[in-house]
Amino acid sequence: MPLQMSSSVEGKTARLNLEGELDGASATSVRDAVENILQGRPERLVLAVEKLTFMASAGLRILIFAKQKQPGLKVYLVKPQEVVVDTLKKTGFYQSVYVVDGEEEING
Amino acid sequence: MEQLTFPGTLDALEPIRKYVEAAAQSAGLDRKAVYKLCLAVDEIATNVALYGYEEAGLSGDFKIEASVDGDSLVIQLEDHGKPYDPNFHVGPDAGDLSQPLETRKVGGLGILLAQDGVDNLQYSATEQGNVHRFTVRLPRT
Repeated sequence: MPLQMSSSVEGKTARLNLEGELDGASATSVRDAVENILQGRPERLVLAVEKLTFMASAGLRILIFAKQKQPGLKVYLVKPQEVVVDTLKKTGFYQSVYVVDGEEEING
Repeated sequence: MEQLTFPGTLDALEPIRKYVEAAAQSAGLDRKAVYKLCLAVDEIATNVALYGYEEAGLSGDFKIEASVDGDSLVIQLEDHGKPYDPNFHVGPDAGDLSQPLETRKVGGLGILLAQDGVDNLQYSATEQGNVHRFTVRLPRT
């Protein structure tokens, strides 16, 4: 399923909704979206990924990009699928992002 | 399954995954094993498209074929890009993987996931091109 993406900003929280498959082909548009979002210097980047069914290492590189572009940025992944969590754990990303079950868990 | 040919670009990633997914489901792999095999093939195909073909100034195709060999499913991916053996790649070690993202190196994650997603990843450079063989043992029935 092709990647679908939408974004919004509320105060210091930027939200990016990702659905479908994030691979090497679709990663460029996501990276561009993240770069645009970071121009607003948000404190939190919330990635709504409940319906993201596939994420290759290209998706991981976007997380690295965001954290290196703006150190101190808090990155949240909301309801990632189990296979995506497996990838985060295998690559050591799990402890560098906040994995939450709902946006109500996001604060400060 | 019938061998299929796709152009050696990133546009081929999605149909390659669909092919692998169908083969893996047909062979009886469970959902997680299907995903990991798709991810493994996707990561190698991505590297071939970006570095084996595009960065090397080459063009060509992917040929992919799935077969059951004894108690294993084998996905064979062929290309004619610049040769590169993923098994010689020095990937991130445990120390690298525990680094915070702020100081992380970008490279090597794809090959790590490719090797993790299968029981065996073989590479050979032949006169016919580069051949990656992804082998996954099938569940006992």
